[in-house]
Amino acid sequence: MNQEKMWVLLSKKLTREASEEELAELELLITENPEWQYAVQNLEGLWEKQPAYDPSVSEDAFLLHLNRLAEMNITLDEGAPRSKAPVVRLWRSRNWMWAAAAVILAVATYSVIGLQKNKGAASIAAVQEFNEVSTRMGSKTRIQLPDGTVVMLNSGSKLTYNKEYGLQQREVALTGEGYFDVIKMKDKPFVIHTTNINIRVLGTAFNVKAYPEDKHTETSLIRGSIEVTIKNRPDNKIILSPNEKLIVENNMVKTASVAAAKTIIPTVSINKLKYDQVDKTLPETQWVENRLVFRDETFEELATRMERWYDVKIVIEGEQLKQTRMNGSFDKETIDQALEALRLMIPVKIEQKDRKIIIHR
Amino acid sequence: MPDNDYIKRLLHSIALDSDQVAYRELFVLLHQPLRQFAYSILKSGEEAEELVSDLFLRIWQKRVELTEIESPLLYFYATAKNLAINRLTKQKRQAALEAKGWLVQLNHTSYDPEQLMMTEEMVNQIRRTIHDLPDRCKLIYKLVKEDGLKQKEAADLLQISVKTIEAQLAIALRRIARCMPMELRNSIRTRISLKK
Repeated sequence: MNQEKMWVLLSKKLTREASEEELAELELLITENPEWQYAVQNLEGLWEKQPAYDPSVSEDAFLLHLNRLAEMNITLDEGAPRSKAPVVRLWRSRNWMWAAAAVILAVATYSVIGLQKNKGAASIAAVQEFNEVSTRMGSKTRIQLPDGTVVMLNSGSKLTYNKEYGLQQREVALTGEGYFDVIKMKDKPFVIHTTNINIRVLGTAFNVKAYPEDKHTETSLIRGSIEVTIKNRPDNKIILSPNEKLIVENNMVKTASVAAAKTIIPTVSINKLKYDQVDKTLPETQWVENRLVFRDETFEELATRMERWYDVKIVIEGEQLKQTRMNGSFDKETIDQALEALRLMIPVKIEQKDRKIIIHR
Repeated sequence: MPDNDYIKRLLHSIALDSDQVAYRELFVLLHQPLRQFAYSILKSGEEAEELVSDLFLRIWQKRVELTEIESPLLYFYATAKNLAINRLTKQKRQAALEAKGWLVQLNHTSYDPEQLMMTEEMVNQIRRTIHDLPDRCKLIYKLVKEDGLKQKEAADLLQISVKTIEAQLAIALRRIARCMPMELRNSIRTRISLKK
């Protein structure tokens, strides 16, 4: 009976689907059936032997494939099927798209100005070719780009985009934190430049936290797929799958000279996003809903976020206190209520002078 | 062996940049395994070749959507299967629709008997054994060993349970293992332990 189990477990080992426990169980079964030990070894050796396909056969087939597509009036340059008749229609529809883009652009400019008047929180400076939207400490704003892409901008952040945005390219620059819901556009990737990383996407939703003064740049992918390159390692692309979070250490660029930066390998990690078990929300994007959620963050990290959130200055005295891990969330709390909550969480003394707050044991 | 992560990277370049080099690379990577898979259903080399071309045309046209696929390898095989079955249905070749009627041919791999500590005779015996596996068993063995599908992916592709996949693979492995005679197994084991 257990021999049957041995072969099943071996098959899982070979297809690299066996868990640690299953591998241990397999080892045990093999020692119990020593007459198969050699056969199992050989099977593993045999499995590694892969058929050697002759690539020239496939390369020839690829040329035939292209010929066949050409006969169907399809070229790879256009992507879409193209025949003689619809060329005019194609051109016309493009013209229509230009017009539509122009209309959307006008609407967007209008809404941006309206936003400036109404909220007063966001300031817009059109510097020759660029539109710039920035948020002060303690305020957030929502931006709709000409192509319909929506960006939520967190406190103390700045989004810059070319006035030509959406026509030839879709590129923006971000410092600070933004939540992006990007409209899918064929052949026109959306690109975000931050201090340390570049992100390229098609259509997707994700959160980028890239405050230059923070220790890390964080990218959390909600859906779709995105491609991240780290600035001093342009050849390495990191592709994120949904519910993954990429964390890149920031100081590698600051501490190293330009020449040395190339040899330094930045600390990069990919973690799974953890949804809240009770309300199924994601801590990384809760700021969009006006909630400051912190999960297992150091007091120091939380203080930096509170500074931006409430537009205050916080000084924590004592290294041990700075490294204390904190869990919780602030919803509609004022800064005073939030500080009171902190006092209940950990025994600290809080001194407040105007917008400066000193916290110590 | 093609793996999903590598294929995902290629698909990404194809979608983002309309990257023709990546498209060609993907074609060369999957063309022969897919053609063999299509051949097992269609039993015509010419039609199998055409099917792979159709499949890659679809890949180009739908490239923007493909970046969101969890398991591209399964997508390729499932699409190949559907295209093949559509062809058969049009030709009213109903008999060939069921997986047990598929003609599976495994590739000849060069085993080095010395390296594997096997005799020439054993290597030939293993080849015969694999060749003589029941059709369904052989198909599953090929999909996971040569084509690189995970057991779950093979199960989804063939619309059978993972348990069935496990059982069929266990049969294949046991039969191949039996090609190594008991005495030899023992004697070689002694040799290995002597080496240590």
